[in-house]
Amino acid sequence: MSEYDIERYRRQIPLLGDEGQERMRRAGVLIAGAGGLGTVVAAHLAAAGAGFLRLADNDKVELSNLNRQLLYTPADIGREKAAVATGKLGDFNSSIRVEGVHITIDDGTVNELIKDIDIIVDALDNFTTRFILNKAAFGCCIPLIHGAVRGFFGQVATLIPGKTGCLQCLFAQSPTAETFPILGTTCGVIGSIQATEAIKVISGRGETLANRLFFWDGLAGDATVIETKRNPDCTVCGKG
Amino acid sequence: MKITVRAFADYREIIGREMELDLSGEKTIGELLNGLFDRYPKLRVEMLTPAGDLKEFINIFINGRNIAFLKNMQSPLSEGDIVALFPPVAGG
Repeated sequence: MSEYDIERYRRQIPLLGDEGQERMRRAGVLIAGAGGLGTVVAAHLAAAGAGFLRLADNDKVELSNLNRQLLYTPADIGREKAAVATGKLGDFNSSIRVEGVHITIDDGTVNELIKDIDIIVDALDNFTTRFILNKAAFGCCIPLIHGAVRGFFGQVATLIPGKTGCLQCLFAQSPTAETFPILGTTCGVIGSIQATEAIKVISGRGETLANRLFFWDGLAGDATVIETKRNPDCTVCGKG
Repeated sequence: MKITVRAFADYREIIGREMELDLSGEKTIGELLNGLFDRYPKLRVEMLTPAGDLKEFINIFINGRNIAFLKNMQSPLSEGDIVALFPPVAGG
C-alpha cells in the first residue's frame, strides 16, 4: 500500500485490516443503476477505496432527481448520469478507476458488463432488469447486493451463489415499473447498507445479510431482518 | 397453534408491527389472512382486489419462503410459523 493510501484510509484500516484494504484496492464492482441508490453506493465505495467501479445507467440527469441523487447538480441536467457520476467520483478519489457506461442493461449487454467484476450492486429501479442481472450474477458466481426503495421504505439482501438463494427465490414477479414517491434519506440509508455489505463481502469482515432480508421502515424509525430461504425449485439457482 | 405475523410498511400501519395468533385446527395462510381481513377491513382493501383476489406483487413469506413458491394461499401453516407481509419495494 502506498503512503498516500495508508494515510487516506487510516481511519478504516483498523476495521478492515491491511489485507482487507488491499482486497478493496483489487476489487471490481459493477454498480447497476446510477440513481438514488447507485450514487450513494458509488460515493461510499469510491471513498472507501474500491479499486475499480463500473457504473451502468441509461438515463440523463433530470431536475426531479436532485432530491436524492447527490452526485448531480442543476448544471448536470440533461447530461448522461454515467458520465457525470464518473467525473464526480474521479474527483472523490483519483487513485481508483471509474468507468461510466451509458447503457440499457438487458440480456444482450449484461454479460459484457459483469466481465472483470467481483461483486455486483443492484441499484436498479425495476425488477425486470433486476432479474436479468440476478441470472447473470448467479450464472457467473458473482455475489449480488440487492437493494430497493419506495417512499420511507427500503430493503437489502446479500445474495451469494452457492451460499444463498437468488433474487428469484425471494420475489416471484416483476412489479410494474412506476414513478413512486421517494425521500432522499431512504436512498441514503439503503445505499449505505448496500455499500457496507459490499465492503464486508470484499474484505471478508463481519456477517453479511446472506439468507436475510433487511427491511427499513423510516416512517416508524425501525428496521427488521427476516431470515430467508432458498427455493429448491428455483429456475435460476435451484433444480427448477 | 401459535403463529407470529410480522407486518411491514403499509401493512404495519394497519395491523401493527407484530402479533401472535393462536389458531385452532389446521389452517392455511389464506384462512389466516381472511381472519385478519375480518378484523382489519383496511387490510383487505390494501391487499385484495375488488374481486377478492390477492393483489399482484404483494410479498407473503412463511418462515422466509415466498408463498408464491409454496402453495400460494393454500400454503399450510404449522405451529411456530412466522408469517411476514410486505408490499413491493422496487425503486432505486
